[in-house]
Amino acid sequence: MTPPPAESVAAMIRPAPVRVDSKVNRDLLRVMEGASVGYWVLLHLAVAFMLAAGGWWIYQVYRGLGIVGYRHPVFWGAYIVTFVFWVGIAHAGTLISAILYLFRAKWRNAINRSAEAMTVFAVLTAAQFLGIHVGRIWKSYFILPYPNQRALWVNFKSPLLWDTFAITTYATTSILFLYIGLVPDLAIARDRSTGWRRVLYAVLSLGWQGTSKQWKAQNRAVLHLSGLATPLVLSVHSVVSWDFAMSIVPTWHATIFAPYFVAGAIFSGFAMVLTMMIPVRRIFGLEEYITDYHFENMSRFLLLTSLIVGYAYLSEYFIAWYGHVEPESTEFWMRAFGPYWMSSWTMIICNAFVPQIFWFKWARTHVPTVFIVSVLVNIGMWFERYVIIVGGLSREYDPAAWGVYTPSWGELLIVAGSFGFFAQFFLIFLKLFPVVAIAEVKEIEIHSKAHGEVGH
Amino acid sequence: MAELDRREFLKLVGTSAGAAAAVGCSDLPEKLIPYVVQPEEITPGLPVIYASTCQECSAGCGVHVRTREGRPIKLEGNPEHPINRGKLCARGQAGLGRTYHPDRYQSALERDASGALAPVAWDQAIARLGAAVSAAGRRTAVLTSPLGPTLSGLLDSWLAATGGGMRVEYEPFAPEALRHAAEVVFGVASVPVFDLSDTDFVIDFGSDCLSTGLSPVEHARQLSAARDAAKESARAARLVYVGPRLDETASQSDEWLAPKPGTEGILALAIARAAVDAATGPDGEIGVAASAIARQLSGFGADAVAARTEVPAETIRRIGASLARARRPVALPPGVALSSSRATSTAAAVLFLNAAIGAVGHTVQVPPAPSRAPSFRDTTRLIEAMKAGDVDVLIVHGANPVHTLPSASGFAAALGKVKLVVSIASMPDETSALAHLVLPDHTTAESWGDAAPRPGVRSIVQPTLRPLYDTRAFGDTLLDTARAIGAAAAANLPAGSFRSAVEAAWKDTNWRAALQRGGVFDGGAWSSPGIAEGVARLQFKEPEIAGDGDFVLLAVPSPMLGDGRGANLGLLQETPDPITKIAWQSWAEISTKSADSLGVRPGDVLAVETASGKLEVPVWPRGGLRNDVVAIAFGQGHTVGSFAAATPDEYSTGLRAGERPAPGPARGVNVNAILPAQSDESGGRAFLVAKAKVGKTGRFQRLPYTQGTDNKRGRLLGESISLAALAAGGPSPWAPNETPGHVPGALAAVPAAAEHGETGERRAAAGHGGEHEILRAYDPVNDSVAEDPYRWGMTIDVDKCTGCSACIVACAVENNIPTVGESLILRNRTMQWIRIERWIGEGEPVLEPARPDVESREQLGNVDVRNAPMLCQHCGAAPCEPVCPVFATYHSPSGLNGMTYNRCIGTRYCSNNCPYKVRRFNWFDYQIERWPDPMGLGLNPDVTVRAQGVMEKCTFCVQRIQAARLTAKGEKRAVAAGEVQTACQQTCPTGAIVFDNLKLADNKAGAAANANAGRTYHALHPVNTRPAITYLAKVAREEGHEA
Amino acid sequence: MRDRARPSLLAVIALAAVAAWIAADLGDGAKATAESTTPEAGTRVARSVCEAHELRELQKKDPDLKVDFGEFKDATWPTRAACLSHAAAGDPDAPGPLQPIQFSHKHHAGLYQIDCQYCHSGTDRSPSAGVPATEVCMGCHAQFPASYDELEGIRTLKDHWAKKQPIEWVQIHRLPEYVQFQHRAHVRAGFACQECHGKVETYDKLPLVEETVWWPWLLPAHKLEMGWCIDCHRRNNATQDCAACHY
Repeated sequence: MTPPPAESVAAMIRPAPVRVDSKVNRDLLRVMEGASVGYWVLLHLAVAFMLAAGGWWIYQVYRGLGIVGYRHPVFWGAYIVTFVFWVGIAHAGTLISAILYLFRAKWRNAINRSAEAMTVFAVLTAAQFLGIHVGRIWKSYFILPYPNQRALWVNFKSPLLWDTFAITTYATTSILFLYIGLVPDLAIARDRSTGWRRVLYAVLSLGWQGTSKQWKAQNRAVLHLSGLATPLVLSVHSVVSWDFAMSIVPTWHATIFAPYFVAGAIFSGFAMVLTMMIPVRRIFGLEEYITDYHFENMSRFLLLTSLIVGYAYLSEYFIAWYGHVEPESTEFWMRAFGPYWMSSWTMIICNAFVPQIFWFKWARTHVPTVFIVSVLVNIGMWFERYVIIVGGLSREYDPAAWGVYTPSWGELLIVAGSFGFFAQFFLIFLKLFPVVAIAEVKEIEIHSKAHGEVGH
Repeated sequence: MAELDRREFLKLVGTSAGAAAAVGCSDLPEKLIPYVVQPEEITPGLPVIYASTCQECSAGCGVHVRTREGRPIKLEGNPEHPINRGKLCARGQAGLGRTYHPDRYQSALERDASGALAPVAWDQAIARLGAAVSAAGRRTAVLTSPLGPTLSGLLDSWLAATGGGMRVEYEPFAPEALRHAAEVVFGVASVPVFDLSDTDFVIDFGSDCLSTGLSPVEHARQLSAARDAAKESARAARLVYVGPRLDETASQSDEWLAPKPGTEGILALAIARAAVDAATGPDGEIGVAASAIARQLSGFGADAVAARTEVPAETIRRIGASLARARRPVALPPGVALSSSRATSTAAAVLFLNAAIGAVGHTVQVPPAPSRAPSFRDTTRLIEAMKAGDVDVLIVHGANPVHTLPSASGFAAALGKVKLVVSIASMPDETSALAHLVLPDHTTAESWGDAAPRPGVRSIVQPTLRPLYDTRAFGDTLLDTARAIGAAAAANLPAGSFRSAVEAAWKDTNWRAALQRGGVFDGGAWSSPGIAEGVARLQFKEPEIAGDGDFVLLAVPSPMLGDGRGANLGLLQETPDPITKIAWQSWAEISTKSADSLGVRPGDVLAVETASGKLEVPVWPRGGLRNDVVAIAFGQGHTVGSFAAATPDEYSTGLRAGERPAPGPARGVNVNAILPAQSDESGGRAFLVAKAKVGKTGRFQRLPYTQGTDNKRGRLLGESISLAALAAGGPSPWAPNETPGHVPGALAAVPAAAEHGETGERRAAAGHGGEHEILRAYDPVNDSVAEDPYRWGMTIDVDKCTGCSACIVACAVENNIPTVGESLILRNRTMQWIRIERWIGEGEPVLEPARPDVESREQLGNVDVRNAPMLCQHCGAAPCEPVCPVFATYHSPSGLNGMTYNRCIGTRYCSNNCPYKVRRFNWFDYQIERWPDPMGLGLNPDVTVRAQGVMEKCTFCVQRIQAARLTAKGEKRAVAAGEVQTACQQTCPTGAIVFDNLKLADNKAGAAANANAGRTYHALHPVNTRPAITYLAKVAREEGHEA
Repeated sequence: MRDRARPSLLAVIALAAVAAWIAADLGDGAKATAESTTPEAGTRVARSVCEAHELRELQKKDPDLKVDFGEFKDATWPTRAACLSHAAAGDPDAPGPLQPIQFSHKHHAGLYQIDCQYCHSGTDRSPSAGVPATEVCMGCHAQFPASYDELEGIRTLKDHWAKKQPIEWVQIHRLPEYVQFQHRAHVRAGFACQECHGKVETYDKLPLVEETVWWPWLLPAHKLEMGWCIDCHRRNNATQDCAACHY
């Protein structure tokens, strides 16, 4: 990582350390106070979508999966696509919190909180789709390896089972991560709030006093968790990718899938962080803490991962051509020019081409551009999963059993609902917890001040 | 399901918990309702089998009715019956559906003041009929389908007793032209019997003998035996097809000629001439036939005819020569589709050909003339009489003339002139909808009767369950009416019920033995008649095909729906057409070339117009069709019955128990609407009579087809091997060093290493994957637990499969597979466990355009059509097994790919990972939505009705396997070879499917595979799933390899 | 002496008290079963064979009870056992559903030791055991004296037989429809009916027999649930292939 340019660091240090504490606290806690009309509109919108989707889902359970657009042989559709999408989103959090932490990339501090929160909510959202997707939700507990007198066990060979474990592990870790980071800030919030909030924070902050002993413990905990979480960043989405790579479906059955998916996940994750944080910064005036400098660095990340993803696309086609196994090459040809050509090109343009704009500094530092690109990348990444899953299934070995699937409006409603589900969590989070890690921001300032004295 | 009705019924017949559970009602407490008096032969839980006769068409196949607790649940062919020898066609298999049909009339009905049919007491109804008949006297008419001898006799004497009314026997597709031709040529007015067994050369002049001909099951069985590629002697037996359309028989043929429609007769004469020349030299004597033939043939030299028929002269000569050379040849006369206004002379020409090649008396038998035969002339006479108001009472039984007669005949209108129209139909149809009085008949499964499909074959119809509703057998209706009229009328009619009449009619035989066998079969060898002198009078020339328009209208019988009588059976509607794979709809076939010139794509709605009317129907362009022909199938376009109207999206209407979908747009078209009412020289109905104008309407209707493409892209699916390559011997080109059907010892011969080791590269010729593909030879036997005595496997002969789809229906009936309806077929949601993939040639990996389209790869004259049944392969290395997170699908010790419904949570991963795509998902609770009362009563209690949200697939009829294993266990023995038969195998008319336990030394499946080791392959072998099903490639019998 | 007499005296008193209590109780029982108006004080009238049986029992207990047996003086049919079983089978408070007929397995299979397969004749050749046809019941009951008709169950039976109307029994041992249970396999393998159905012959009114086996992890497996089946199959080394029962 390139060290932060002087002026932006200066922006952080100013105003003078003496008043920093109170100001930072005030600024960052202001986010949690009151709520604008816009906020309520957004929240209600999110909840409305969620409820609508819930209603549809109940009807779907009552009537059967037939009411959505599945067509033989495409038995996995928008639900699994969205599941993978959200799991992908979930990756930025851990990456920023864990890996960048280990790399001591200071600039992460301003965004890690929101990223971690996002991770947790994204995992929760993703997990739901496993239930929405199955045919008999009321029997889905079969997938848990619980002891039973029928001596029935689960199939540890099945990638779907690995999925179950991966998701639960990831959820646990990321929740811990978020919480431990929160403790000191909760303490600050506790000291400044009254009424039920005070009680809440008092309980959650576990009697945090800010003694050096506690700081030491907290830092150590974060350090260890990062150590634990780092492999997860790679493993979770690898496991998800194996849902496909382990099958024999042409275009799924590829060794490249794990790195390919992980890169894609980080890619989409960062895009989502940007998509969420840019408006937040704007609305709550956090420019002093989340600076363009952060966005620029994340744009760099987007550029990097975009290159990796683009490379994956290329190599897929290359291997399809080089291996010349007829079903596979046919499928890839049809991916580009067959029934799903529009989705494929959306994916390629949004993921591989659009981010190339970040080679230019002006683009990286021009916030609206960054925002637009991040949104496009989110869209592109959804379509990537759509193309891989649906496209892969629609043209398999037996030409007599080919079919073209298009999502029904019911499925799309549920997809929209998942965004509502995710958004409402995030919005509520904004009002309950400090969206920027106060303690860590201060930490930076103190550090950089110290450096200043040494005379950097 | 509505409890009460079921209870009522169960009270009648009694049942057991098993049966009750299978209906799918899990509401506790469930009642156990025992018999009051338990019949001697019935043990609850065990099937009882009765012999009876199929009445779906006039072929008269014998059936075994499997019943459980007094309810028939499955039809299977009667192995002793000389016509079908244990086999059944799709229509026969579906026959039981009529008994459990929700539409059935449940009591006698009378049209009330408001014009609606209202229930009426039987006595009243009979009284009214009696009064009307006695009043009408000679002005009474009875229109029936061909009846069994007893019923026919009864009807005659009834008419005599009630004043001698008019009797008309009507069968839409009766081979009248053939009968008249036989009368002219042989002097015997009877339909000749064509015996294809052990033939070495068959030439079919467009009767489509394998699907809608004179006796499809019989002919399919005989022909496949005669062409059995396992037998060196039979391998090269040729089948030549003559007709404008690539239908089932054409697809099986080795050579397909598509002459100008209507010129078949001339072509036959030319071939006869060529045969004679080849046999005797230019002007020699003809062996069998009289000089009359010679005189007739003289005018038909190959060159002259070639121009008129558009068939090359050398082809004619070649075929003639082959026929002359053939040991036991036979020529089949045209069927319905090609019976033109000169059908009789055409049929006569084919009979000539038979005479010329010396087939008469060997492969062509002429039985003595029957007492009565269906006649279109009589029917038209009746219509005239009705129009003239000379008919006061019309009784219609077993026929649906309003639908099956050409609208131009004006039958419907004429009905209006009849004072009392009485319908004996057991289910609503277009005719009974216009009746004043409906006296519903029992269904076949409920009634007594007999049939005499041909001299020497007497077959019994016996009831297998107590009538479900307040219906009455036609025979009894007649008797009761006579009694109602008065003692005088009843005097010379048999006393007692119709049943006793039947028994009396059979008193010359051992009644009980006959009941057990299903009839009396003493073969039929008849003196072969000589050529009558009348032949000289025959004129042979092309028929007049009237009307302006560039297309000849070809009205073909539907293999599934026949003349339309199958249209109210969901199972038959759902079973895709063997050729186009379209279900639930009508379509118009035109050649791809015409389609291009018209600028239409599949599904674009065409307007087909003749002098008599106009139809709008979606188009299905095909390569396998003459450019000057538009073909539409009979069967659809009903206006009455629950399938008459295309139902709206079932899945959005939220249908629940008992509800009926609101009618939507009409389902399909009835081609009779545009066929003129014409007859041939001898008064039989003519179908090939009209030219049609074909134009675009601009509308589009997506056709519910179940197979999008006939291009297998060179993948290892439906393979074909040339006769030359096969004759050369050597191992199969697709699977080197393989021991497909295990024979103990053979396994030992293969060293364990080689067993699973690499065995060299497979030929590129086998396609899919090219030269780089490394294949592993294996023995399916290894894919079951070593100490388990079983490994179930199957051998399927693509060369024998005609695509008739009997297996599909049999499977659906045996395994409680729901019909999902048109709207779900449109979503590829069919539930059938077995499908028949139809491939044209090897195919090539063409790349699809953005808008996926249906391109027909058929070509005129190309007969490289491969029908490959596709079902669960029960792979040894099944890709579906490892991906199931809950072990719902797993590998059973005896090598089955098990599917435990109640463990499945519906992740559908297994289907994604199945390369054969044979797994089906229960998208809805079909149990509730697809079996309205009383259909549930016909379900097979031995098979679980699958719940919403679970996967299902072919189980190799595991219920039959388990039953056999238990029986064997009880008798302290192992299951013997051939003891277990899957439903598909049991019914397959050509015996293309063989199933058995591969671990037995004498197992049938292995034997079949070993006997054909030169052409074995495993579907998609390169995926290395180690399937338990071994396919045998189709044999391309090219010219020059004749016997 | 005394010191030895005191406890024994106490014991005697205690026993007497108990005896008195039991006697009183039986008295009540007798009243309950044989309510009767008394033309002259103390005389009790039997209005049915069953009442006669009960009163006779009472008389055995206190000889000076006056009973007017009337027409039932030496009526023996139905037997007392039959009366009691019939009453017990019809007892709404006993566990298990009420059947259309107060049929007692205890009476038939227990007391008279009729073989299970005499009535449930399908068990050894059919998947389903089958419920006896009314005919089978009448086979014996038609031969019994008319006096049996005082039992409601017998009347119902004969009534159904006369009307040729099947009896709708309430099913007790029920498996889900996705289980294909084969009675013949188990009976042929020599398993007693009691293994699954419990000691049917000891019940007047049949409840679903609750029996639980404990799986290694101390998980309960109830009778007629899969765990219970599997446990038995494992113990007897029978097949554990899913497809043996699920298809």
